[in-house]
Amino acid sequence: MTAVIEAHGLTKYYGRRRGVVELDFAVEAGEVFGFLGPNGAGKTTTIRLLLGLLRPTGGRATIFGLDVWAEAPGVHRRLAYVGSEPGFLGELTAAEQLDVLAALRGLPKGVWRPLAERLELDPAVPIRKLSRGNRQKIAIVAAFMGEEPLLVLDEPTTGLDPLMQREFLALVAETRAAGRTVFLSSHNLPEVERSCDRVGIIREGRLVDVSTVQRLLAEHWRSVNLVLAAPPPNGTFDLPNVEVVTASARDVHLMVRGDVNPLLRRIAGLEVVDIAITTPDVEDVFLRYYDAGAATPSELAGVADGPRATVGPSDPEEEGTIRAGPAEGGDR
Amino acid sequence: MIRAAAWLEVRRNRSLVLWLGVVTFLYAGTMAAFYPIMRDNAAALEQYLELFPEAFLAAFGISGSLGQPGVFFTTYLGSYLWPIVAAIAAIAGGTRVVAADLERGFLDIVISTPISRRRYLLVSIVGQAIVQLLLALALVAGVLVVGVLVGAGFEPGPFLLVVVPATLFGWAIAGIATLLAVATLSRGIAAGVTTAVLLAMYLGFVVAQIEPDLEGLKAISLFGHFDTTAVVDEGALSPGDLAVHAGVALLGWGVALWRFRERDLAA
Repeated sequence: MTAVIEAHGLTKYYGRRRGVVELDFAVEAGEVFGFLGPNGAGKTTTIRLLLGLLRPTGGRATIFGLDVWAEAPGVHRRLAYVGSEPGFLGELTAAEQLDVLAALRGLPKGVWRPLAERLELDPAVPIRKLSRGNRQKIAIVAAFMGEEPLLVLDEPTTGLDPLMQREFLALVAETRAAGRTVFLSSHNLPEVERSCDRVGIIREGRLVDVSTVQRLLAEHWRSVNLVLAAPPPNGTFDLPNVEVVTASARDVHLMVRGDVNPLLRRIAGLEVVDIAITTPDVEDVFLRYYDAGAATPSELAGVADGPRATVGPSDPEEEGTIRAGPAEGGDR
Repeated sequence: MIRAAAWLEVRRNRSLVLWLGVVTFLYAGTMAAFYPIMRDNAAALEQYLELFPEAFLAAFGISGSLGQPGVFFTTYLGSYLWPIVAAIAAIAGGTRVVAADLERGFLDIVISTPISRRRYLLVSIVGQAIVQLLLALALVAGVLVVGVLVGAGFEPGPFLLVVVPATLFGWAIAGIATLLAVATLSRGIAAGVTTAVLLAMYLGFVVAQIEPDLEGLKAISLFGHFDTTAVVDEGALSPGDLAVHAGVALLGWGVALWRFRERDLAA
């Protein structure tokens, strides 16, 4: 695969204020790349750098091999962008706004109509009379109405109802199926989990992890809740990859990482009333990066330098405790 | 792309031109309707105006008999209504596509399309220029149309010449407003500073007229180069004054275009 987006040491400071620091990542053609982080983490700064709206303080980024700052109009011919709170012009109708944006992108008039019908957007209403959700529909329509090979979406489902969010995910899937590339910035974790091939996690301006969603989930802890008929004998859950979180009489809450079979064998020897094993969603994973006890930004930055950066609980085989911080001795 | 940007500019200027144009036309026409009374009672008016301090007369551009069309025009329109109308249009247009649109989140969307920053701003500048021309035409049209209806006896030629300095005066303000919008990326700051600069220039112009030692202030004020009295009464344009306004406009717009391409766009 070839890289559509490449960032090398991409850095932005607003005066002395940190924007993003030394971002290194690549987005391959045809993939949906999620860019996760809370408000203020640097997601929007990254996108504005990629769009050529900001000049990098250091490093550079290319899209389809073109420098995003020096060759911005050329880059813009190959992408469609939509922001989280696009300030569409209230005096225009949705139809007028979409026609203008289509014309600016060299698309035919009315190209947006099928998509507007699919999202149940009334194009004849002045934008100032539309709800936030309906305004966001305009943004979604604008993003997907063309056939640019790259879509850059900055928290695109903000304000959308669940049905429309589902429709958005379908559009992303169709886009990927068509071989186009999507860069999706979000703090909507289930959305990223469902739609993205890979995820980059940004924290305090630094990229702390880039991984596939599956790997990100697989290498983190699972939660096991047991209700037993009788209190378990001492040492029942003494396993190197298991941590007892709480154990009160017959209720036991465990955390297990990696292979669950040894634990299941121990549980099989008990009389179990109920059991629930929860695979962590991206939110669980994500929150570990933002746990109050997490590593410092510099420690986390070091993590991203490796071939596959991982930050999270330490290896239980080494310490046997859950700790939200960089794995000591891991591939940082 | 250019056509789409131009359509957007026209669409967004439509209401501004319509309402400001109508107000300008009606106000100018209303003033023109009073002109015959002033012309017929010029002597009494002059006697009356002698009661006022020199600074007051200077502030309103009264430098002769109100029975003269040029003095009348300058007093009621050239040094009063037009600077306000031109400033409103210039600040609205000059601060809109860069500062206001960035603040509202629209500029990102437009600038992320293949149209270049410079072309997009250039379209806006052309729009600003045309708006000022249309409003200047509305100003003069109000005077001439109502002047005919009330038998004011205005000569259309000299009044139509006023369109030239009035338009260039508006362009100069628009150039300043556009440059400040690009420099600050804040509509509020750009509008506020532009207004403050205009007020300072106006004050300097007035002071220069009543204090000979400070006459130099007139040269650095846009108002010091906007004398519609001579244009109407003598039918003569001042190339030097026109050049000053055109120069300020082109400098402001030119630097704004250069700076807009180079600068960060962060609200």
